[in-house]
Amino acid sequence: MAQSSRCIDRRNSLGENRLPRNLRRLRPIFIAATSLAITFGFLVASQGAMAQNAATETKLAAEKSLGNSSAPIKLIVYDDYECPACGQFYEQTLRPLIDTYVAEGKVYLVHRDFPLTGHQYSRQAARWVNAAARIGKFEAVERALFDNQMAWSEYGSENPQGIMKPFVQAALAPAEFKRVEALMQGCESNDHDELKGCAVDPEIQRNIASGELLPISYTPTFIVSCKGTTYPPVSRGVAWPLLKQFFDQLLSQKQP
Amino acid sequence: MSSSTNWSKGRILLLIGRLALAAIFLAAAYGKLSPLTAKQWTLSSLKVTPASLELSMMFFAMQLSSYQMLPAWAVSPIAHSLPWVELSLGILLLTGLGLRYLGIIATLLLALFWAVIIRSYALHLGINCGCFGPNEKLTGWRVLEDGGFFALGLAVTIGAFFYHRRHRVDASAFAQTEVSSS
Repeated sequence: MAQSSRCIDRRNSLGENRLPRNLRRLRPIFIAATSLAITFGFLVASQGAMAQNAATETKLAAEKSLGNSSAPIKLIVYDDYECPACGQFYEQTLRPLIDTYVAEGKVYLVHRDFPLTGHQYSRQAARWVNAAARIGKFEAVERALFDNQMAWSEYGSENPQGIMKPFVQAALAPAEFKRVEALMQGCESNDHDELKGCAVDPEIQRNIASGELLPISYTPTFIVSCKGTTYPPVSRGVAWPLLKQFFDQLLSQKQP
Repeated sequence: MSSSTNWSKGRILLLIGRLALAAIFLAAAYGKLSPLTAKQWTLSSLKVTPASLELSMMFFAMQLSSYQMLPAWAVSPIAHSLPWVELSLGILLLTGLGLRYLGIIATLLLALFWAVIIRSYALHLGINCGCFGPNEKLTGWRVLEDGGFFALGLAVTIGAFFYHRRHRVDASAFAQTEVSSS
């Protein structure tokens, strides 16, 4: 009897007895429904975040990309503007690619910044290119910086002081350069850390974060996607004839 | 008695070493020839078509090119032939025929691979190895592993020569015994 009363007391203390019998029966359903609602909430929130990421990604890709976004092949290149191998890859592989397969709508070329901290002026160069990309002048400024890499980078012998502004200016019309200069307010620094007042730094930071996820440790590194398949990353670049053969093979394959 | 026990132990070790060496070459060939889109070591990765083979070898050619050692004209022919050489070596090592010669070829090939890996690691190239598949980072562990493979190749070759010599000595001793008894 005492045991029974203790038992009742405990149940009272838990508050279970306060629920009517019918509701008590429904308790598992309440728990399951609440769990489902919470899970659904998380899913909706994560979908929202994913959609937001995808929107950011699309925006990023559109600003620093060349060609038709619905091209069968997508080539993502992680570059550092000061890295000599990136300069070589750009001049010897990407230039012929841009002139042919990108122009013909076969390849959609996406650039992503991955300025290595070992290169003193690489972040600064990335800031200039991102500012130019904001006004739709990505290709001109990228080309200007790679074409004159030896003139401004620490590897060059001509004027290795990280002064890239004249090359950007030469690549743009005066009005365009003014707009780029305005975007570069608070960005003219060789600092590799994200600058608080720099409008283009968050984009660079997002590019670096996406590279670190792969993970990328060297530049250039590129990733090819075609017909819903993404191939493993390839580092250190590759000669244009080899890349062309690979693309031709991809283009000749039937849709899986 | 003890000598004959050691002798059979040696033969077993040689057999294990030979099979391990064959497995290494077969796995390397599989990694280079299996479809890029399939997950490794699954049934779908065995569905090889001429198109998937060509694509896999093209991709291997790009990885080979990232080693920055070969002239541009040599990359594609080597990338298209190396997986088949590895496959043939693996199959021949499984049969055990001409083990001394196969051992020499395998050891030289493994020594070459090891030297290339050491060079790339020392230069901090940060590339994918491409040794056993398309997405394989070149790390310090890979350098050690390749050194181990080279040591295994060398051990199998020495063992094959030793076994052959011992077999010949035994055969001639048996022949001499037969002659003297008759």
